[in-house]
Amino acid sequence: MLSPLYLVAAALAASFTLGLLNPKRSGAAYAITLVTLAFMAWVPAGWLWGFMAEGAQPVEIYTAGALPPYAINLRMGLAEAAMTLLITLTGLLSALYLKESLIKLGHRGMAVLMVALMAFCGIVLTRDLFNLFVFFELAAISTAGLILLSEDERALSAGFKYLIVSQLVSTFLLIGILFAYHASGTLNLDTMASARLPHGSAPSFALAFFLMFIALVTELKPFPANGWALDIYESAHPAYSALFSAAAATASLYAVDKLLLVGGPGWYPMATGIGITTFLAANLFALPQGNDRRLLGYSSLAQIGLILVVLGQRDLLGEGTPFIAFGLLVSHAVAKAGLYWLSGLVGGRSLTDWAALRGRPLLVFAFISFVAMLTSLPPFPGFYAKWELVRVLAGEGRLALLALILIGALVEAGYLFRWFGYMLKREAPAEAVNGEPHQVVPVYVAVLAGWVLGYFWGELSGVGLGHHNLLLSLPLAFALGFLLLDWLPAWVKNTLAITGMVAFFFLTYAEYDPLRLIFALIFLIGGAITLLASYDAHGRRIGFYPAAMLMYAGMVMLVRANDSFEFFAAWELLTLGSYFLILRGKHSEPHALSYILFSLGGAFLILAGFALAAGGAAQFPITALGQVAPAVAPWVFLLLATGFMTKTAAIGLHIWLPGAHAEAETDVSPMVSGILLKAGLFGLFVLLMAMGKQRLYGVELTHVLLWVAAFTALLGNLMAVFQEDAKRLLAYSSIGQMGYALFGLALMNHLGWLMALMFVINHYIYKSMLFLSVGGVAKRTGTREMYRMGGLIRLMPLSFIAVLIGIIAISGVPPLSGFGGRWIFYNAILASDYRLPMVILFLAGPVAFLYLFRLIHSIFLGQLKDELRRVKEAPFWIALPQMLYVGLLLAFALAPGLALRRVDTYLNLFFPEGGLHWEGFEITSDYGYWNPVAIMIVVAVIFVSLFAWLLFVNRRAQKVKQFNIVFSAERPFRPETTHFAWNFFAPYRKALGFLVQPYATTFWGALTDFLHTAGDLARRLYDGNGQSYALHFLAFVVIVFGVGV
Amino acid sequence: MQFDWMKIPYALLTLFIVVNFGMILTALVAKIAARVGRRRGIRIWQNYADLFKNYGLRSSITHGAMFYLGPVFRLTGGIGLLLFVPTIYGSYVFSNLSFAGDLILALYFIFFGTLGMALGAAESGHPHAAIGVSRGLSQVTTAELPLALAVFSVALQYHTLSVTAIVAAQQGGIEHWTLFTNPFAVAAAMLAFLGSMMRPPFDVVSAPQEIPIGPPTEYHSSYLAMMQTNRAIFPIAKIVVYMNLFFGGAASWPVFCLKVFLIYMVSVFIGVVFPRFRVEQSIRWFLIWALPLGVLAIVLV
Repeated sequence: MLSPLYLVAAALAASFTLGLLNPKRSGAAYAITLVTLAFMAWVPAGWLWGFMAEGAQPVEIYTAGALPPYAINLRMGLAEAAMTLLITLTGLLSALYLKESLIKLGHRGMAVLMVALMAFCGIVLTRDLFNLFVFFELAAISTAGLILLSEDERALSAGFKYLIVSQLVSTFLLIGILFAYHASGTLNLDTMASARLPHGSAPSFALAFFLMFIALVTELKPFPANGWALDIYESAHPAYSALFSAAAATASLYAVDKLLLVGGPGWYPMATGIGITTFLAANLFALPQGNDRRLLGYSSLAQIGLILVVLGQRDLLGEGTPFIAFGLLVSHAVAKAGLYWLSGLVGGRSLTDWAALRGRPLLVFAFISFVAMLTSLPPFPGFYAKWELVRVLAGEGRLALLALILIGALVEAGYLFRWFGYMLKREAPAEAVNGEPHQVVPVYVAVLAGWVLGYFWGELSGVGLGHHNLLLSLPLAFALGFLLLDWLPAWVKNTLAITGMVAFFFLTYAEYDPLRLIFALIFLIGGAITLLASYDAHGRRIGFYPAAMLMYAGMVMLVRANDSFEFFAAWELLTLGSYFLILRGKHSEPHALSYILFSLGGAFLILAGFALAAGGAAQFPITALGQVAPAVAPWVFLLLATGFMTKTAAIGLHIWLPGAHAEAETDVSPMVSGILLKAGLFGLFVLLMAMGKQRLYGVELTHVLLWVAAFTALLGNLMAVFQEDAKRLLAYSSIGQMGYALFGLALMNHLGWLMALMFVINHYIYKSMLFLSVGGVAKRTGTREMYRMGGLIRLMPLSFIAVLIGIIAISGVPPLSGFGGRWIFYNAILASDYRLPMVILFLAGPVAFLYLFRLIHSIFLGQLKDELRRVKEAPFWIALPQMLYVGLLLAFALAPGLALRRVDTYLNLFFPEGGLHWEGFEITSDYGYWNPVAIMIVVAVIFVSLFAWLLFVNRRAQKVKQFNIVFSAERPFRPETTHFAWNFFAPYRKALGFLVQPYATTFWGALTDFLHTAGDLARRLYDGNGQSYALHFLAFVVIVFGVGV
Repeated sequence: MQFDWMKIPYALLTLFIVVNFGMILTALVAKIAARVGRRRGIRIWQNYADLFKNYGLRSSITHGAMFYLGPVFRLTGGIGLLLFVPTIYGSYVFSNLSFAGDLILALYFIFFGTLGMALGAAESGHPHAAIGVSRGLSQVTTAELPLALAVFSVALQYHTLSVTAIVAAQQGGIEHWTLFTNPFAVAAAMLAFLGSMMRPPFDVVSAPQEIPIGPPTEYHSSYLAMMQTNRAIFPIAKIVVYMNLFFGGAASWPVFCLKVFLIYMVSVFIGVVFPRFRVEQSIRWFLIWALPLGVLAIVLV
């Protein structure tokens, strides 16, 4: 392992050598620079390897051969090695990226770059205060140099502002160091920390520390003293911004961390306060931001603020601090550097200009990897860090801080995912991406690093906390494998996907209990059946399979999860996968955004709920939810239930669903509706099985759920009635159906749960089937507006049969399987303690008839339009799964016991009373009885004999022409004026339309508008004027002084 | 499970009796309604004449497969509903096919014909049929609500969903009838009954008096005959459910005929007195007047 001093020596030597070189030989100078930077990266890499693999011990390097305080010392430990490696690698890659620019600038520019990196490394390594100051000075001057060397004219003023700030920082730091030396008699950080005087007993030391603290924290760009940094981020060359954001911030953070050792726990709350304020403010201000680099700047400020929070919480986090802080730091550094490098490839500076990247799938993949890293999604390091941070904060009861962090993170996810949506969906600018290899390579290296770090953090989390490494779990690995196979034609990948899912089910089916088996069946086998429709797609369908399989992997992992960590990770994976799937729709950009925001909001609630339940324990089995302390149990219940209900689209949280499901592709809609929604129900099942009834302030929470469910069912159905768009109608219908299932669960009795399961199975079958047939119709007719269709029964008979069977099943009319759900429902409510919510649900039932009839009438019956006369039946691969579903539905109608009998027995564990008795074909409950086979036979016999007779007597009847009808004394001639379809239930709107006023949409819309407006107003603080910035700095100093000293 | 094949001829016997009773009853009711309007009204066997005529007619046109299925669905719904409910209490012969399911089956099977009919009518492409369906379905959402609540209330009251058990619980005197033990439920159910009998003030669905509108617009000859048959069976089948749930059931055919007639007459009395509601008016009416009764019924039971 090479001495860390080489980090300093190599940079200095190379810089001087460059000075001796002929200025015209910039190529050689560039080569020297690259070699030096590579060497500088090699040094810490060796150390890191030594620490990780060979168990090396940290070393102290003393200058001048004397011990401190007579000399200065540098330390190389694990943290230092990691950080210097991060800094030097960022430097190396940035230098590579800057090839043209550096060669143009000549050797001076390269020397400045090396000095800057050397200074950053020095800040990390040194343990001496004055030495720290020196390195900061070096860093300031070289950074200013780099900024000023940028081509953008605005960089000049940004660099100047930076110089002003760094002078203030230097002055504060120097005076602080003087006083600190005066008070403690040493400049060595460790000596000073161990000799720390009790807080308050030495006013001069407190003041000294305050000055140093202010100085170093200002380097972290805290709110409001950070306008200068934003101007730099916006105007500097992106590679410099990458350095500034990743390397400089790393160094400054570590400096603050070291200083906090001196200040002691008394200063932790201050660090936390500054951090969280910055985190929230920066994210809020970023919301209305339209310039990509400034947006990234805001995001950098926010991320650094968050890490400062972690440093400020080290009294709680203790040993875990590095794991969390580093997890967030590397995610930030890698992602931010990568994004800045990417921004150099994009011509325009508006967010929508990034649509240019769309032609390069690998760059898109890079972008989304970076976004996932920044938003702490699995399997990246930030995810493990976030989990751990939230766990400890909740365990120690710092709930307000926890809430603020999660709110800020949600806002950040909002603007980052919005940007991703722009990139995939907005019109691409004419100017294509100009990616030279030396510019693209750093981006790819960053992506690779992100994934490797994800693996690494998974391992670390396994060692320290006993979690599984997510990247090693088979379903996720299978899903990610499709990233590598994306060059294959779609049908090959589809076959692989189906085989994989079916095989996985047969490998594991013995491991599930009867309840989980049903969900596993729907997710894996049901998913495979739905995937048959994907054979209809041609070409390579880039991006579809990784996304779809990620969603399925998440769902399978959810069913198989044993502890809260696995459960939550699976939840986030399925959310992410389904988001990509939904985003694929042609017009789905805003809907996908709303989906991911609601889902992440729900996920954060689940995260908080689990953390609260665990009470600080590292391992928390799902079943332990039942043993949560009574004081927090209802809150845990509330958080988890609300989180799961965002996925099932309970009323109030439902506004994402219609757009997301309706705008998705033909084969995606059944996946996200028929299958994905069940994940939320599974979560609720798990929650209720473990926690049962909970009371909060005397209110029984399951009773509240009952009301929510009833209104969800009613309003979902009512809203479906008034839709003109067939897929939106089905989407609203899903909201209603989920309301029924939730209602069953909330009844908290044996049959209620059985009813919920019945709805799980039924809804999977008929909603998948209906979305496929309506999707097929939309594909053939080119519209989803039902009133534009009509009379398609003859042209698309298979689709018609699917819809017919589907609507009979949904309506609950015997003899199809929907009736079973209704029958169990009635039996369940008879055993329930509550009666009034049933009123709402009774009203919801017949309302379903309205939209169901409208669906089949407006599309298949009535008048055929001229332009649709040549429409063909849906493609084979879309019709085939529909017919399979018809078969499944009939089978389930005849023999519900096949699926339900074992679960019925299993539910005895939770509710020994009130199960069903299965005898032959007859099913009896405590109240009534039901014989599906007998019903089917009776109905079929009557039906068939009447039909046969009618056919016989009318055997010579011929089909009349379309307009061979008379009404209002006229013979119609235009289908458009004869097809009664638009605003079909006008009287109903008159009577009950007031119930479907979009209050929820208005509320969420107002909330986001408010956040945007607030951010937009507040960010005017940063007016670009150096004097204002100085004033901000002053205000910051005064506030910190007032609060802290 | 051992199936007693004799149940089939027995069920057909019930059907035969009810069809004839229904034909005469509807004619009688039509006559009574006419007399209220100072008209002579139809002859008592007019329904038979119409039916024979229509069955005898041979249609040469159809609008398609679903159009065929409309009357089939309709009549299946009527016959099915009748046969899924025991007609005469305590009689094995007239217990019909009620082994297949309980009260909930009957309650949901009411919609079978409605839905199928709506589908068939819609295929005719006649806008009046679609308008009728739109009105009918709109009205049914709130008209059925009080009935559902009343059924729930009755099931709570007797702790069973079995129709036979509910009738059994009402035996032993008129004071045991649900009418007296659970008056709110019966009141709510009877208001719902008005909504489902296609008489004023709730008959805008088929608007029989002025223009041919409503689901049956395009049906004729044997299609129409099938629906006429159903028109004789379906109200009776529905009333049987009401009679069993609320009015003590019937232990013999004379009692059956009397109770069915009287229950039927409730809708007739109101129908000849009140003018017609528009759809949105009737929706509001059910929500304002019938729903609270239903809620009271389930709260107080």
